[in-house]
Amino acid sequence: MSILDINIKNQSKHFRKTILTYLILSILAIVVNKVYALFGHGVSSPAMTWMFLYPLIGGALFYFLIYGFANKIIKFTLYRLFFNIFNSGIATLTFGSFLKGVMDIAGSGSIYLVFYYVVGGLFIAAGLILMFIMVINQKRADA
Amino acid sequence: MKNFLAKPYRWAGVFSILLAAAVTFTMMDTFVLEKSMAKDSTSSSPAIQTTTQVKQSVAKSDAAITDNSYQDENIKITIETVRKYDTTMYVADIQVSDVSYLKTALADNTYGRNIKAETSTMAEEKNAIFAINGDYYGFRDTGYVLRNGKAYRSTGKGEALVIDKEGNLSMVSESDVSMQSLSAKGAWQVLSFGPGLVENGKITVDSTSEVGQSKNSNPRTAIAQVSKLHYIVIVSDGRTNESAGLSLLQLAEEFKERGCTTAYNLDGGGSSTMYFNGKIINNPTDGRKNGERQVSDIVYFGY
Repeated sequence: MSILDINIKNQSKHFRKTILTYLILSILAIVVNKVYALFGHGVSSPAMTWMFLYPLIGGALFYFLIYGFANKIIKFTLYRLFFNIFNSGIATLTFGSFLKGVMDIAGSGSIYLVFYYVVGGLFIAAGLILMFIMVINQKRADA
Repeated sequence: MKNFLAKPYRWAGVFSILLAAAVTFTMMDTFVLEKSMAKDSTSSSPAIQTTTQVKQSVAKSDAAITDNSYQDENIKITIETVRKYDTTMYVADIQVSDVSYLKTALADNTYGRNIKAETSTMAEEKNAIFAINGDYYGFRDTGYVLRNGKAYRSTGKGEALVIDKEGNLSMVSESDVSMQSLSAKGAWQVLSFGPGLVENGKITVDSTSEVGQSKNSNPRTAIAQVSKLHYIVIVSDGRTNESAGLSLLQLAEEFKERGCTTAYNLDGGGSSTMYFNGKIINNPTDGRKNGERQVSDIVYFGY
């Protein structure tokens, strides 16, 4: 497994930028919910109300923990794949939650909603597996 | 390809496009794309339509008709406008001589998703004397659908309204009673929205009951039975400065006060429409714009 030439300053910048982006996306999810509520006759949906938790916990908090406890994994070439796959999972789950909220509020439903949760979950699971591979390899390298 | 996606933002760009396409498709599939699944052969044949028109023209020629009443030898309808709960509601008292005068119709005579028409348009096509919106089955993927004796959808977990071939209304749990058994017992119409408001003369909702995530006061449409072939239909205005709308409990109380044994809530909100003798009686609105919403189906009285 090759190791990218990324210095500590760049690592820190990458994580801070990622965490900040996820925080902004969490706020955006809250704003979307509030704006949608203005047109919903007081009707609300837990799926839309709580969709901000995906970018907040799955994104900002998760990358904060990586930054604190496993920031060296960024040196692996595998990190880019993990980063892409995990972020895609969070995005898929967030949009799935948004769509479920829209349909709950309208009183409708779709057979396709389940795919968002399945695909999002698979992306997250694949991302976590890649992350653990990198963490284990890092521990071996440190030992 | 691997190197292409490994570069920053390229994966994000490609994935964003795919996700946007998936979301657009899901929204279109849910709200816009028409999916025809079956034709309503029970009412669309020219022979049946001709016979119906002849029967209606004969009956109507002898009918006593006013702005809020209709009476011929088979159908008697009286509509009363009531102001209560800061809301205007329209209460129709309907008596028929045979259950065949209580019918349902599907938009475009077709069962499917997103196949819609205004209640008044469907009513006029069917030469209905009186009509209300139905359960808007086409907006959902589940909930029993059986119309004029023909079963269309057999999946559901809610509470369905059954109108049997004697014209009696009853409620069943879709989790406990299969569509097959309802068909075998001779169900004439099955609608799925709910909840049931009155059962065996007792109110079955409370002040916390609501349709899904909906708020408490809304335009409503509901149907009830008083006695054999005697029905009450209530449609209320709502979501306007003039009318707040009714809660389900208020609606149930109105039916109980009128001696109904069974009452069931149909699709409300912007769908709520009462049509009588060529006119729309209520003020349909979804709270943003006035006018009829297109829906999947109607319940009507006529020939």
